[in-house]
Order: sequence, then C-alpha cells, then structure tokens
Amino acid sequence: MKRVRVNGLRIFQCAAILVAGLASSSAWAGWYNNGKVLLTGGVFTVDGAGGGGAVPWATISGYETRDGINGSAGFTYVNLPALQVSFYGVNVGFYDRLELSYVDSRLSLNLPNLQTVALVLDAVDLGDSVGTDVWNSTLPMQTYGVKLRLFGDAVYTSDSWIPQVSIGGLYKVNGNKELVKTLGADKTKDYEIYLAATKILFPLSTLVNVTARYTSANEDGLTGFGYCHNNGLGTGDCKNKRKVRAEVSIAHLVAKNTAIGGEWQQHGNNTGGQSININGLNLTTITNVLSNLGLDLGDSLKQKNEGDWYDLFMAYAPNKHISFTVAYLMFGNISVAPDQNGFYFSTHLTF
Amino acid sequence: MKRSKISLAIAAGATMLAAAATQPAFAGETKTKPILGIPSSAVADFGGVDGIHNWVESLFYYIMLDNRINYIFKEFGNADRQIALNTQLETMVLGGPNNYQGASMSAAHADLGITMTQFNAVVEAAYNACERNDIPYYSCNDLIAALAPFTRVIVTK
Ligand code: HEM
Repeated sequence: MKRVRVNGLRIFQCAAILVAGLASSSAWAGWYNNGKVLLTGGVFTVDGAGGGGAVPWATISGYETRDGINGSAGFTYVNLPALQVSFYGVNVGFYDRLELSYVDSRLSLNLPNLQTVALVLDAVDLGDSVGTDVWNSTLPMQTYGVKLRLFGDAVYTSDSWIPQVSIGGLYKVNGNKELVKTLGADKTKDYEIYLAATKILFPLSTLVNVTARYTSANEDGLTGFGYCHNNGLGTGDCKNKRKVRAEVSIAHLVAKNTAIGGEWQQHGNNTGGQSININGLNLTTITNVLSNLGLDLGDSLKQKNEGDWYDLFMAYAPNKHISFTVAYLMFGNISVAPDQNGFYFSTHLTF
Repeated sequence: MKRSKISLAIAAGATMLAAAATQPAFAGETKTKPILGIPSSAVADFGGVDGIHNWVESLFYYIMLDNRINYIFKEFGNADRQIALNTQLETMVLGGPNNYQGASMSAAHADLGITMTQFNAVVEAAYNACERNDIPYYSCNDLIAALAPFTRVIVTK
C-alpha cells in the first residue's frame, strides 16, 4: 500500500520536474508555444485529459497551437459527504495534435456504516482473521492518458458542422486492491477508450462536447472496474464487461475568460444491490453479530445503484497561466452512501 | 485643354465604373457563411459602419502593440489602406453592403507565411478592440464567427 502511494507521488514529481525543466531550458524556446485563444484548450479533467471537469474533450490540453508544445499541471479537490478526492496531474500537448497525461488521485472514504463494521470486527477480534485492515479506507489511483486529434477544428470552422474529433485512451491503476474488492469490483486496473467531438458555436458563445467512452469503471475507476458478486466465499461470479457510455459537456462563455456550464456523465451499475465484500467474508454473519449487539444495519451495507454524474461549473482564466474551476457535483449514490452532492475546486497551471 | 482633361477623367471614371459593375469579382472577397448565421442586428451592434471603423482602428492599435505580430504589419502592411479595407470587409461579413475593394484573403496573405499562433494573436487583438470600444462580448463573437472561415486561406504555415 504504502509503497504504491510513494511510487505514484514519485512519478508525479518526476513528471513535474521534467515539465518544469523543459519549460526553463533554452532548448525549449523553439518548441514552446502558448498561442491558443484563452480557455479554448479546456481545463483539467479528473482523468488528466484536457476537457471539462469530468468529461474529456476533443481539444488538446495546453495553450499550444499546431506550431509548438505546451504543458500544464492541475490540482483538483472534490468534497462529498462520504468521501474526499484529490487529484494531482500533469499533461503535455504536442502541436495541437497529441496529448499525454498523468494523474495521481486519492479518494478517502468516510462511511459511518463501514466504520461500524470495522469497529465491530475489531471489537470481536475478527479484524485480524479476515486478513484485511478494516480501517483502510483510501483508494489511490494513477491514470495514464493519451489523446490524438483525428480531424476537425473546434474553434475556427464556423461555416461547417464538422466538429473537432479526437480519440483517447486511459489506463487506470487502482492501488488499493483490498478495498476495491471489498466494494465488490472485479479489477483494480483497466483501460478506457473514448471518442470525443467538440465544437465552439461562436454566435451562441457556446462550446458543445459529446464523448463516448468504452469502459467498465465504477465511479470513474476510483472504486474499481466491473463486479464480483459476493457469494460469501470470495470467489463468485466476476465480470469486467466494458460498455459504451455517453458524456456531454456544454460550456457557455460569458466573457473571453469566463465559462459557465454543465456536464453529464453516464455511469454503469456494476455493484448496485450487492453487499460490500470483506475478503470473501459472508456479511450476514457480521450483520447478525451487529443485530445481536442491538445495531441493526439492515440494508445499509448493501451498495446503492451507482448514479450518473452531473455537475454545474464555472471556469475563470485571468490569464494564460492559470485558471480556476469551481463546480457543484451531483454524483448520486456512491457505494453504500446515498445522494453524494458536493463541491469541486480545481486549479490548472499552464506553462 | 482643361475641358478635355475633365472629359477624359469622366470617361475614364465611367469605364472604371462599368468595369466594376460588370466585374464585381475584382472586389475579391465574398461574405462567409457561418452555420448559425449572423444576426441582422450585427452591424448596428458594432455601432454601424462608423463603429466598425472605430473597431478596426483599435484593432490595429492592439496589433501594433503585440510583438508577436507587429513586425509583420510594419514590414508588409499599410495601416491606412488596411484600416479602410478591413472596415469594408467587416461591414460585409456582418451583413452590411459589399463595398469591399481589396484583394481576396488568400491573395493578400499568401506570401506572408502566417502561423496559427499569429492568427490567434490577431484574434486576441480583436477581443481587446471590442472591449475598448464597449462592443458586447456576444457581438464580438458574431464577428469572430464571420471571419473565422478565412483562417483556412490566411494561415498558410
Ligand atoms: C481574419 C483575419 C484577417 C483579416 C480579415 C484580414 C484582412 C486583411 C485585409 C482586408 C487586407 C488588405 C488586402 C489588400 O490590401 O487588398 C489585409 C492585408 C494584410 N494582412 Fe490581413 N487579415 C487577417 C489576418 C491577418 C493576420 C493574422 C496577419 C499577420 C499576422 C495579417 C497580415 C496582413 C498584412 C501584412 C497585410 C498587407 C499585405 C500586403 O499589402 O501585401 N492579416 N488583411
């Protein structure tokens, strides 16, 4: 666990140093470019790709045009009642054609029902025998991304309906196998592929993006991929079935440096209705122990149906080096926690 | 003597007018066709042709302040001519009368080797000029939509 975390951070630090080093070295001068018009590269998504808050766009991140290279770093903090997530990442855009990205994220759960189980397991000394650190509630994840612009120009082809279209791939590695399994997912590592189409409609001062993502992710992969139905033996029926899911971003520019908008990201429902799965332990035993103690958890250890993600955002870019995004998130049910609405704050630094 | 000179001038003027009438293609640029159209109030939103002229003057002012592009205009441009021609062109693409007398966008910029970065620098100057002239951001975007299709021929690098 610890090692994974340190590794992730180290990779991030290396990348940051690399980007910073490139930005300051003189050899960079010929390639460096920040000629894009303000906000037209999008901001920093939780996947590291350029786009809105959650939805990757077809635009290539950074302010470079086809004449050069530009890099950026982003930090995002999400605060929901049952969990907090922070994302640190970097991305580099090459000639407005190719984008490479890396994000290190950390999700901390604070679920009272899980903590009750932990408490009880500790109390009855089952904690050790299930072979799981029942207090372990952090889900670290690394996301590696690449995006290639296929055709089109989101900004200047105002006399044609053809949007800018890009294809992207993400590889996500969740570092907490135990907790991912506890939450009933099948895999901790998986890839996602997406196709995004973006167009700015100047007479409406509005950017429209539609993305189709081929994925099996639960909560964007933050709680794993696919499902393992808990049969109480830790084996059971496991599937990692990828499907195409839809995502939409609409950003209305109220000024050249300020956008407001909303997003919708369709989610699957891999783990809904399943009980959390503590290392194959049949939770009926625990629920029984708990009811013996007079604590009726009832269905509260049953995971709720995963909700689609919705958000409303405002992005402000005072200049080409920094932008701030605040958003209100409506994430529906996450694992055993219902109705997760909360706030999102993101900073995007562009070199 | 004097009389013949005048009549010669009139004759020359008349043939030029006739030529212009039969060959309007000399005014080498046509209105662009943005997919969502340009609102009929666009010219008025800029403050009429005078407003457009003021905007173009501000545009050149901001262009000349920008070291990424001003040297190109100093070397190859002619501010007075370009301000006059741009006023005509912008009036036309915003839905006003087509009095444009300059060269086509491809002919005017073909040899300049203009990059996307330089084009975007002019767009930034355009937004600054709108702000300076109190032209609303949304109206400014109508003009950007109307000029955007010229990117294809202006940006050659
Ligand atoms: C949509 C954007 C643009 C429009 C509407 C536009 C419009 C014009 C017009 C109307 C002329 C006069 C043509 C003539 O003399 O007959 C002109 C010339 C010129 N433009 Fe542009 N232009 C644009 C972008 C640019 C850019 C990005 C640059 C350079 C960075 C540039 C540099 C010049 C120069 C140097 C000339 C003078 C060329 C000559 O007289 O030989 N223009 N432009």
